[in-house]
Amino acid sequence: MNFTNSQIEDFTIPSLEEVHLKPISKNYFKIIVINKIVVYGIFFAILLTLNRFVDDVAFQENFWVLFGVLFIFCLIDFTTSYIAFKNRKYAIREHDVIYAKGFLTRSITTVPISRIQHIEESRSWLARQFHLSTLNIFTAGESGSDLTIKGLPKDEAKQINDFLSSKVNGRI
Amino acid sequence: MEEFDFSQPSRQSSKGIIVIFAVNAVKWLRALFPALVALGFGLFRKNSFLTWSPWMIALIIFALLLLMLGIAVLKYLNFKFHVADDDFHLDTGIIEKDKTIIPKSKIQNVYIQQNFLQQIINVVSLKIESAGDKKSEIEINALSRPMALQLKKALFDRKSATIETNDSFQEEAEANVFFKISIKRLFLEGLLHNHLKSFVIIVSFAFGIYYEFKSIIEDLQINENLDQLTTYEDGLAQVLYLNLLLGFIVLIISILYSVVRIVIVNFNLEVIENNKTIEISKGLLNKVSLTLTPDKIQNVIVKTNALKRRLNLHSLYVKQAMTNEKQSKNFGIIALEDVHIQHLLDKLLQNYHTSDEKRKPSTYYKRIMAFYSLVFLVLINVIAIIVFDYNALFVNLFLVPFMALSVHYRYKKAYYNITEPFLTVGSGFIDTKKEIINIHKLQAVKLVQNIFQKRRGVASVIVYTASKSVTIPYVDEKEAKSIYDFLLFKVESEGKNWM
Repeated sequence: MNFTNSQIEDFTIPSLEEVHLKPISKNYFKIIVINKIVVYGIFFAILLTLNRFVDDVAFQENFWVLFGVLFIFCLIDFTTSYIAFKNRKYAIREHDVIYAKGFLTRSITTVPISRIQHIEESRSWLARQFHLSTLNIFTAGESGSDLTIKGLPKDEAKQINDFLSSKVNGRI
Repeated sequence: MEEFDFSQPSRQSSKGIIVIFAVNAVKWLRALFPALVALGFGLFRKNSFLTWSPWMIALIIFALLLLMLGIAVLKYLNFKFHVADDDFHLDTGIIEKDKTIIPKSKIQNVYIQQNFLQQIINVVSLKIESAGDKKSEIEINALSRPMALQLKKALFDRKSATIETNDSFQEEAEANVFFKISIKRLFLEGLLHNHLKSFVIIVSFAFGIYYEFKSIIEDLQINENLDQLTTYEDGLAQVLYLNLLLGFIVLIISILYSVVRIVIVNFNLEVIENNKTIEISKGLLNKVSLTLTPDKIQNVIVKTNALKRRLNLHSLYVKQAMTNEKQSKNFGIIALEDVHIQHLLDKLLQNYHTSDEKRKPSTYYKRIMAFYSLVFLVLINVIAIIVFDYNALFVNLFLVPFMALSVHYRYKKAYYNITEPFLTVGSGFIDTKKEIINIHKLQAVKLVQNIFQKRRGVASVIVYTASKSVTIPYVDEKEAKSIYDFLLFKVESEGKNWM
């Protein structure tokens, strides 16, 4: 079913399908991996220390089961995050910003530039090491309508920020 | 009418001392409640607390009251406001002086309220809400009604600081009372309310109380009596009977609760139609009056249910941008007739129209709801069997039909409809809900699709406004995408402001 509408037949409505969505920087996956390695490292460290110092027979017997479960969980987590990472894409159009993400549930959010309240560029210590930036785009809507695009190359984030800011300010 | 000069710093009515005192007393009481309960128990058991005698405690309470009165007087003396140029000025603080200045242009809402105490001493409180921080709200506790009305006018009069009473009051003369609730319809509305919510509230409240005072109840040995009851006459029928009786009692209480609550909140509900705005005033213990401005309105929700529709009872709820949570609950008008709804929609949304064509979500929506209900049922059953025993399975007698009806009606009532420039989305189970937004008020659009939906080729569209999000669930993927594109196209090509 299509929306046919006499008033706007002369125009063609720009379609989501035509948009070329750009993946975020590959370096951002390194950040995800580092973060996860730290978390799982702590878990494995706890497990190994317990193995050394706890003499409880039940624990000792089941140690490898626990280890295996954690390892499999870790593997699954890494693969899903990789797929989810691959799905993180964005696009800047003349009138709006588009961001797609998700693994099991995928979503595409579009914020018209005319609805942007303000833009924030933030960089964590780790992101700085990889020359990456996070762009937060705030609207007046609920929290669900704000966009957070992580893992943009620093220069590109700045360009986007400048472009959007000039458009947002030019509106007033 | 007496005129007030707001250009000079002035205090509120001296009755404000009483209001400030009461507000503080309630605040302290709330904070000290656990301590007071402990103290009360101490007194009850040993006739003394720590080593203090009752006289000593009375003296301490008296001293505390005196201290609070002193603070109230000082607060009152140090609370001054005035309107100068295009700003509202407020000086507060006993030791640490605060000076608040709000530009008139930043004032979002002005409410006039009157709680029970204020009704007795015949003053009103005026709340000023400004854009920005959620906490930026000023309350003047005690003003006479005419003074509050004039201050409100002065705050919305953007041209000059002095009040041009003539102009503003002329406008008021044009205002007419558009709708006034009758006692009969008010009670009907309360009686036909969705009691399920009250039921849940009452049950959780009862559980809360029970756990809070478990030890006391055990002291009173109610449990033993109950045990005796159940051991004498055992059997499934007995348990069932007891449970049914209990359920019935709770049901009666929850019906009473919703009727009383609705009557108190909506007592004397009046809708006043001004030139551009709609004013609502209502309340028995706490009288509120608020203004709806079409520019600020983001979502409009019309609600009714099968019984109410038969009696021509409809409710209209409005979500305004830049309104705090607590106030936004008051933005509802109940017991309206069909014609009233039409008129209000026309006024608030500027020529609202919709076609009769109701586009339905994909039938997959129904199947997935049924599937979720099934999962929920199985879960409940497993828990019931583990916690209680097989006797608990009788809940299925109620749960299964309830779930089946829920799926049936939720699908039946789900529809959407786009007639420029409005998006209408219908939903509901017991209630029939119709959410309307003006397309140019949207802030963002989201297309959501999980892997199961992807396989079936369906997706949901979520439309965000500044107040609320509306979901068009489970439509055909192609259609979802064209809705998505269309909504964005409308917003971006028209360039209209959302507020």
